[in-house]
Amino acid sequence: MTRRDFSERDIHMALDGELPGEERMAYDAWLEANPEMKAKSARYVADRAAMRAAFAGVMDEPVPARLRQVVLGEAPAKASALRSRWWLSAAAAVMLAVGGLGGYVAGVDSIARGGGDDQLAEQAIAAHVTYAAEKRHAVEVPASEKDHLQTWLSNRVGLKLVAPDLAAEGFQLVGGRLLPAGEQGKAAMLLYEDAKGERISLFVTADSSATSKGTYTAEGGGPEAVYWLDKGYACAVVGSLPPERLSDVAKSAYGQLVAGISS
Amino acid sequence: MDDKKAAILSEIPRLRRYARSLLRDRDSADDLVQDCLERALVRLDNWQTGESPRRWLFTIMHHLFIDQMRKVNRRGEAAMLPLEAGEAQAAPADQVETIASREIMDALQAISPDRRAALVMVAIEGFSYAEAANILGVPAGTLMSRIARGREELRGLLDDTSRRRSIRIVEK
Repeated sequence: MTRRDFSERDIHMALDGELPGEERMAYDAWLEANPEMKAKSARYVADRAAMRAAFAGVMDEPVPARLRQVVLGEAPAKASALRSRWWLSAAAAVMLAVGGLGGYVAGVDSIARGGGDDQLAEQAIAAHVTYAAEKRHAVEVPASEKDHLQTWLSNRVGLKLVAPDLAAEGFQLVGGRLLPAGEQGKAAMLLYEDAKGERISLFVTADSSATSKGTYTAEGGGPEAVYWLDKGYACAVVGSLPPERLSDVAKSAYGQLVAGISS
Repeated sequence: MDDKKAAILSEIPRLRRYARSLLRDRDSADDLVQDCLERALVRLDNWQTGESPRRWLFTIMHHLFIDQMRKVNRRGEAAMLPLEAGEAQAAPADQVETIASREIMDALQAISPDRRAALVMVAIEGFSYAEAANILGVPAGTLMSRIARGREELRGLLDDTSRRRSIRIVEK
């Protein structure tokens, strides 16, 4: 029988099934003779059981369709630029819409559906889904500090930003927060609420080049985004309102943002 | 459907579990899995006949994870900071987590990505030291020290959490 001194290292090896079988008896005897080591081993066994239990449910979850589609070769080409930033905050990578239906905004003849638009809309929807549902932590800066909110977000995002007054549309400002956007960029999210507690959000980030407009809804449904890219601003209004009402809110917000640039 | 694709499909649940333990957030984890699957399909020819699809896929996913963690660190972004439980990452309603599960998930996120990967690979995914060292691309000795330190660190974090919890109970 092998005779050797055991150490803490052997606790890990025994736990992970790496201790040679012929050493097992001697190891068990050593553990019995060292209460401190025995307690440590028992603790690691318990922690491992807790780790396994915490993630066991994942194995029973249905595999998301988008993952099956990748393997089966059915996945439509999509904005992988958004997904490949998964390591950024959850907000930037939450909602993933495969495909998606291009909408139409009154007054726009054609909608250029480039990746940039989708990406903006997806990020705005992701932020809305994440934060509008939060009752107590929806915003970082409340509407009561509106001046500070506007100055802070303007400085961070690098755009002159006013929080539009949407009272005529029935919405009051709740507050706002700063979010990551694009590769290195930042976005401002302003949250509004109506008397019934329905929430919409305005997502604004800097985009120097593009000019386009459109609406966007994820394939699986969920809130709609009305977006526009113009004058260096990339904006999206997101909510689960009837399309016409959302469109009215978006027009009002857009008008005030543009007016704010020159004020 | 060919055999290779069928074999890849059957590994998705395990890849998702591993990704979830690395990243915590469900959607971010699935994004990592999707990146992994896309890369795997492009490189189907690199997959040697007879080689375990599991090891091959885990290796691809681990490389993606570590590459991005390095990029994040270089940019000095704060993505690795552990989030306050229940604050920034409210779990979706269908994702029921017990307090114990949440605590262990949070604690795992707080240890370094290298140690987290090594520990999870062996303790949850059930790879041998040799397999895990191979997948992670480190010598067996390095793997062992990461596992040992990871366990030690995890234990300390869990102790801190339960200490804070008991203080809160006392204060009530």
